[in-house]
Amino acid sequence: MAVIELQKLTKYYGKHRGIKNITFDIKEGEIFGFIGPNGAGKSTTIRTLLNFIYPSGGKAFIFGKDVVKDSLAIRRDIGYLPSEVYYYDDMRVSDLLRYSQAFYKKENSRKMKELADRLDLNLNKKIEDLSFGNKKKVGIIQAMLHEPKLLILDEPTGGLDPLIRNAFFELLKEENDRGATIFFSSHILSEVESMCSRVAIIKEGELIKVETIENLIREQFKKVTITFSSQKGKTFKIEGGKKPEWSGNTLQLLYRGEMKNMLQKLNEAEVKDLLIEEPSLDEVFMHYYEH
Amino acid sequence: MIILKREMNRNMKALIIWTLVISGITILNLMMFPEVAEQQSAIDQLIKQMPESLIKAFGMDRLSMADPLGYYATKGYIMIILFGSIYAVMLAGNMLSKEHNEKTIEFILSKPITRSGIVTQKLLAVFINLLIFNLAITAANYLGFRMADAEFDMNIFLLLSVAPFLLHLVFASISFLLSSQMKKSRNIVSISLGLVFVMYFIDIMSSISGELENLKYVTPYEYVDAVEIVINKSINTTYLGIMAGVISLCALASYLIYRRRDIAV
Repeated sequence: MAVIELQKLTKYYGKHRGIKNITFDIKEGEIFGFIGPNGAGKSTTIRTLLNFIYPSGGKAFIFGKDVVKDSLAIRRDIGYLPSEVYYYDDMRVSDLLRYSQAFYKKENSRKMKELADRLDLNLNKKIEDLSFGNKKKVGIIQAMLHEPKLLILDEPTGGLDPLIRNAFFELLKEENDRGATIFFSSHILSEVESMCSRVAIIKEGELIKVETIENLIREQFKKVTITFSSQKGKTFKIEGGKKPEWSGNTLQLLYRGEMKNMLQKLNEAEVKDLLIEEPSLDEVFMHYYEH
Repeated sequence: MIILKREMNRNMKALIIWTLVISGITILNLMMFPEVAEQQSAIDQLIKQMPESLIKAFGMDRLSMADPLGYYATKGYIMIILFGSIYAVMLAGNMLSKEHNEKTIEFILSKPITRSGIVTQKLLAVFINLLIFNLAITAANYLGFRMADAEFDMNIFLLLSVAPFLLHLVFASISFLLSSQMKKSRNIVSISLGLVFVMYFIDIMSSISGELENLKYVTPYEYVDAVEIVINKSINTTYLGIMAGVISLCALASYLIYRRRDIAV
């Protein structure tokens, strides 16, 4: 069964594009990634799903219910974490979490304490004294506390340090094991890779591709920057290398293939400096446009 | 009624401060009444010296300062209708827009509650705060009259207590309506405060100048004019109807607008 279903969902802000004809669906129990650069329309899509904003065209369904007409029923079973969290400065963390729970008519202070412990968050602190990362933790807890069937997370890891990020991913896995479907957006590809079964890629308001992570990784390439110690390096060539660009003795290319082959080739060459990195999303999109 | 409870808590401090200040001023004012009544002839002399327009503006040409309700209608009442309206627009203007300003609206909207539910609870919070404010001031007024040992008509006293409440609701509902569409609290409160003062100015102008007399129908201060209430021993029913109409139209429009509004922080 599709938990989320978008049918040609479109949103214009006046004449400005928000999103255009987005169609995809997310199955029950999936961890689904939503990636795209900033301003691509990720948040617009999510806000439309939550009925913060009204679609200009198309339809969307969550749990088979229309997101505009049945928004109230839908939101009973959703946990939402916005990309930037803002809470009431006069409240303590525990006040905010209790306030949040009151809307679901569920109170579970044991789970609240447990989640706060695992994310290393002090429940007695005032919201106004919290750092951005700590506010995000409050956001994570209020999204999970009522054990929703669907978690919608908009750029959830921003501001979290690596240790907490791991704890957060563990929590997500547990929620998923419990049966929750998870939809989360990110502009960091590697993050989505490690968590998701499938991803949707969006750019400039349009859906570019929905892809399984397996395929994505198979097609994945690295950005390689090699600085050679002399002009001799200019003869360097490798199968699977794309878009080579020279500046002086420095070569930059996109590589897709076995890392072993690349290392062997490099070993034979006189390499002074080497940088292998994830391509930026834009470069990934370039790749998709070429296909 | 989770939001209502929260709003009652959040606004309690302001409610207490405004109530204490306004009722303190009215009590002090009324405590001066015995002295004023005693020296009535001297004060009548003094009033005659005052410019005619000033006398008209405060209705002192038609009411005697020696009568406790007359004294109150020309002196203390103005504090309650003017300052109370300021409190009312600030309360109502911030009620919805504070969530937008501080971007906490995304939090509320992601919870299982409808937009109409939010508006209902926020409107109720405004109503209850203003009701408590007016009840407390009425109690303080009553105390003030008793302390001044004054004899007065209870019916007129009650009318003079209900009328400001209606005026506060009129201004609050206009301010709330603005906040259902506008995003910035600052602008909403500025516009509605401006309205409170401009309307008051128009009211003064229309009572001073005969040529501007017809202007009085546009200002809600005219609808709750204390001098008229004391003289007629009632609130004009047409005015009551207009006020009820403005309040319900503003509330209704707030629902309709807020339900269709795109909310992006």
